[in-house]
Formats: sequence, structure tokens, C-alpha cells
Amino acid sequence: MKKVTLLSFALVVFNFIVAQNFDKDMATAKSSFAGNKLEDAHFALQQALSEVDLATGKKILRLLPGSLGNLTANSKDDQVFSNVGFVGATVHRTWGQNQAASLDIISNSPLVSTLNSFLSVPLIGGMMNSDKSKTIKVQGYKGRLDNNGAGTGGGSNYTLQIPVGTSLVTFTMKNAAEGDVLNDANGLPLAEIAKLVQ
Amino acid sequence: MKSFFVYTCALSLFLCCQYRADGQLLKKLKDKVNSVVNPNSTTNSQANSANGNGPANKTGAGLKNTPPPDIPTNMDNAVKSMRDSNFSQTRYALQQAIMGVEIKLGKQILESLPKTVDGLPKKDSQDIVASTQFGWSNMQMQTVYSNGKEKQMKVTIGNMPMYAGLVSLYFGNNVYVSNQQKNPNIKQTQVKGEKAIIQFDQNKGYTLIVQLGQATIVVWECVNFATEDEVMGAATSFDLAGIKKQMGEQ
Repeated sequence: MKKVTLLSFALVVFNFIVAQNFDKDMATAKSSFAGNKLEDAHFALQQALSEVDLATGKKILRLLPGSLGNLTANSKDDQVFSNVGFVGATVHRTWGQNQAASLDIISNSPLVSTLNSFLSVPLIGGMMNSDKSKTIKVQGYKGRLDNNGAGTGGGSNYTLQIPVGTSLVTFTMKNAAEGDVLNDANGLPLAEIAKLVQ
Repeated sequence: MKSFFVYTCALSLFLCCQYRADGQLLKKLKDKVNSVVNPNSTTNSQANSANGNGPANKTGAGLKNTPPPDIPTNMDNAVKSMRDSNFSQTRYALQQAIMGVEIKLGKQILESLPKTVDGLPKKDSQDIVASTQFGWSNMQMQTVYSNGKEKQMKVTIGNMPMYAGLVSLYFGNNVYVSNQQKNPNIKQTQVKGEKAIIQFDQNKGYTLIVQLGQATIVVWECVNFATEDEVMGAATSFDLAGIKKQMGEQ
């Protein structure tokens, strides 16, 4: 209970700081633009965009499940990066010991178009299908599931990549069975993530 | 078995392409014969080909030029959406505002360029400002100076980290420097104290590239200029310090 209270308080403080920074950046952008200092206005707008990406990432983290089966989220290791420019925000969470499961969401990922061509062109997708790699559907979203070989603790290591709009959702599990991967992936709030990152 | 399947697919694709190529060749031959027999028939054939067997388009006013995003409105929208915690709309409004700033800045830079260079008037109608909405990188401006005949100078200014990196590589690498002696048609030079590369190609003419600051480059493509000195003289009539400052370079 104490942990939950502390976490909630930390989130409130974070949101307050983000909002403050955003307001400050927008005020700078407006005054710079009014003074025809376009380069300064541009920089301030980029800073504001960076704050929005951070806030989005934090909101996504709040949506993610606290546990996957018997794996508990390592909330302390949660990470949100903002990369203004080509790639937007990056969100990262892990579950279980030794990062048994992990989720990375990269907005505006350059890999999305390549992955989409694998998923939407039957000839290419079909030729690439094997017992180690196949196209699947998770919550209505097409994705690519790769078996990366046997894990050190039994089972296999899996990587599931799902393009959601212009973002790439990558879910990995170590020492798992394929059924567990699909089951846990179905527990991820993909529709809500899609709304936030679009 | 799988290899056989892959090869079969590849062969089918090849045959399909071959058939399509043959079809195109026959169509060209047919058009050629028709053009000799009846000169008007070629025009009809080409017009129809745009829509396959359907009617050729003969009307339409084209698309209207969309004005660049309104910067103050988008900034206000961003603030409002952020208050509502609508991050998606906030991001969109900010991206639009950034694009608007880039286009406005690009237009200002193009307007600041000299009206005439080496006797060639600036063709304002050919001004182009292109911006990606992801912010600054690959922002590009272009204008053309021309006498309407053979002589022309195309000027491109851009924030292109990749190309600027290549220019730096040229200056920092001894292999390129030593290669200058073998290939005198590309060499290092300076324009108003800024590092530059000048190149000559029989078909393209002179190309002069200057790196400004970290990522900005200016490229002059000069067609039918008589000498290297004429190109350098034309380049010095540009206010490079002003461009550098407007692009936010140090």
C-alpha cells in the first residue's frame, strides 16, 4: 500500500514537472516567434515535443500490466526516452528476474515499413515462414513471431514484433513456450497504446 | 522441396515480367507504325494509355496550393490539447507548428539571397522549400538563377547532416586529398573562409559545395559557366554568414 502511494505521488510530481516544462517551452516558442527569432522558436517547439513524448511514455507505462503470469514488473527499471527528430519516444519495461520478459515501444520506427511488407505481402511473408518464424495475429494486429533458439533455463527465447501505426512494439520472452508468449502478448493493452502513439 | 518452391516462384515472376516487357515492346512498335501511317494516332494512343482502356482525362483544374501550417494557431492548439492530456493531438499540433516555422524560415532565407548573380536573375517562381515534419534534419531550400538560355545556377541550401558529414570526411581524409592529384576535376577550396569542395563534370558543369557549421550545406550547381573563377565569384556574392546565423549554426 505504501509503495502504491509513493508511486502515485511520484507520478503526480512527474506530470507536474512535465507540464511546467511544456508551458515554459511553449512560452519561449511564442515569444521567439513573435520576435521573428525563428531558430529559437524552432528549438523551443522541439523541446516541447520532447516533453510530450515523455508524458506519453509515462502514460503508456501506467497502462502496462503489473505482472505477466507469475512474472512481476520491474517498475524500477522502467525507462522512457525522447528522441526528437527521426525517432520519437521509446518506452521500455521488463518483467521477472533477469528480464525474463521485456517490452519496447519505439514510435516512428524505421523498421515498421519493412515489417509491414512482410506481414501484408503473402508471397514474401509466406516464403519467410518456417518453424522458427511465422506471422501471427495478436488482438487483431498482425505480427511476426521469431523463435531465437533454446533458452538457458529450458523453453525457447522468443521475439514478437507488432507494428502499431508508425510505432513498433517488440515483446521478448526468455525460456518460454510459444503458448505463454501469445497468452502474455494478449494481455498487453495494444489498442490503448495505438491511440496514444498515433 | 522448399528451395524448389522458391525457384518456381522466382521463375514465374521472371516470366511475368518478360511477358509484360514483350507486351510493352509490341505496343511501342504498334505506336511507331501508327505514327508513320497517321500522325494523330500516336497522341490518342498515349492519351488513352494513361487510363488503360478507359477515357483519357481532358479537364480538371488541378490541386490548389495548400498554405503552410498556421504557426500561432497550432501553438495554441498544442497548449489546449496538453491541458486536456490529449497527447496525440498535442504532438500533431507541435509537428505542424515546427513544419510551419521551417517553411517560414526557408522562405526568409530564399528572400535574403541576392536578386542577381553573375548577370543571372533569380527565378522566384522556381523557389522550393521542403520540410519534413520531424524537425530540422533534411530541411531543404532551392532556387534557380537563369538567363532563360543556356546558362544557369541552381542553389540548394539544406540541413543535411548526412551530406555535411561526407564533406567533413573529404577534408579529414588523406586518401581523398592525395586523390586530388590524380583527379583534378574535384578539389578543396574555400568560400569566404568556409571549407568547400568544387567539382567539374563535362555534362553537369561546375558543382560547388560549402559546409556551414555542423550540418548545413550550400550547393551551387553551375551550368555553362566558363571558368572556376567565375563560379567562385558568383558564390562570394552570397551572404554565407547570414545563412549560417538563420540556420542556427555557430
